Amino acid sequence: MGLISLPDPKVGPGLLPQVPEPVKFLLNWGRQYSLWVFNFGLACCAIEFIATSMSGHDFIRLGVIPFAPSPRQADLMVVSGTVTDKMAPAIQRLYEQMPEPKYVISFGACSNCGGPYWDSYCVTKGVDQIIPVDVYVPGCPPRPEALLHGIMRLQEKIAHESRGGQWDPTPIGSAEQGGQEAVYPSVVRVPRGA
Amino acid sequence: MARRLCTRRWSGCRVAPDDLLAAVGARFGDDAAQIEYGTVTVDVEPAAWIDTLKAARDELGCTFFDWLCGVDELDDGIGVVAHVYSRAEHHHLLLRTRVPRHAAVLPTATSIFRGANWHERETAEMFGVDFAGHPNLVPLLLPEGFEGTPLRKDFVLASRVAKQWPGEVDPGQSAGELAPNRRRNLPPGVPDPKVWGPGAGTG
Repeated sequence: MGLISLPDPKVGPGLLPQVPEPVKFLLNWGRQYSLWVFNFGLACCAIEFIATSMSGHDFIRLGVIPFAPSPRQADLMVVSGTVTDKMAPAIQRLYEQMPEPKYVISFGACSNCGGPYWDSYCVTKGVDQIIPVDVYVPGCPPRPEALLHGIMRLQEKIAHESRGGQWDPTPIGSAEQGGQEAVYPSVVRVPRGA
Repeated sequence: MARRLCTRRWSGCRVAPDDLLAAVGARFGDDAAQIEYGTVTVDVEPAAWIDTLKAARDELGCTFFDWLCGVDELDDGIGVVAHVYSRAEHHHLLLRTRVPRHAAVLPTATSIFRGANWHERETAEMFGVDFAGHPNLVPLLLPEGFEGTPLRKDFVLASRVAKQWPGEVDPGQSAGELAPNRRRNLPPGVPDPKVWGPGAGTG
């Protein structure tokens, strides 16, 4: 029996779009409902996040599993609270420790844009200045229902994702991707190559 | 001499306010001691700062160091305020001094109260007060490489310069309703564009 020529294994858009649609659906469906979440709680919004995780609102029913032991085992990071310039390097580092595919929800006015501290000398004007954000949840602080809504928007996004797009080298928010697009009056999502 | 007394502040205190004021006045001089907003306050010269703290601790029984901070008093200089407390007698004492803006140097209080260490580090980075003799005067809260002293009132808040103040600085001065020729008041942290920024010196 002679040698069989096998293609070199590679990661990228060349191979993955060939994955059949039903398999893609299944993969996305699985990832959509097992989001291990890493809570980057920095201020009062973290309390609302905790309220969302408790029995009253109970986001485990949406497949969001709180209290990942470390960012290395998390799929989703929720930045809830005021990001300061001192804290920013830590957020970036922990984001980089998360394995792909990874998602970020910016929860609350402070992590969206600086919030009431927009003019402070020490507050970062939005966590999207240091890491890419998938869903912004507005509010000061937002109600737990708003976070549930944000999670559902993220799940919709994952459901329509093509895995090939995860490794799309096009920079986030570039003209090719159409930049930021508003898909809902209260929630803006940045396409990450979906 | 202000004599307004906050009774809650004195609850549990075993020394009558006037007695404490008399004791403080006898030690530091009647002019230096007064009751302001219900607290016995002592104003001293920077040269007497360490002696005052030491006397408050050893002679007036204020062994508990609560906090130390700075106050930007504009042309009057940078105030440094320390709050000490007597755990035995339950009385409070506010000690104040004032150093010049451009030569803000004060001897460190860490030799009297070791807990003043971090308070002085914070005051140093926020107000630019140099505490001579401090064992480790490096920034406490500000990120590495931060330039400037952000709690001084002349610190420029770049965000406010770049973006118009969204609310009302003065009544009737909201951004939309303002007549175009009327001069708009500047919020704190924003210098006059005639003297600062790209248009400086253009009159």
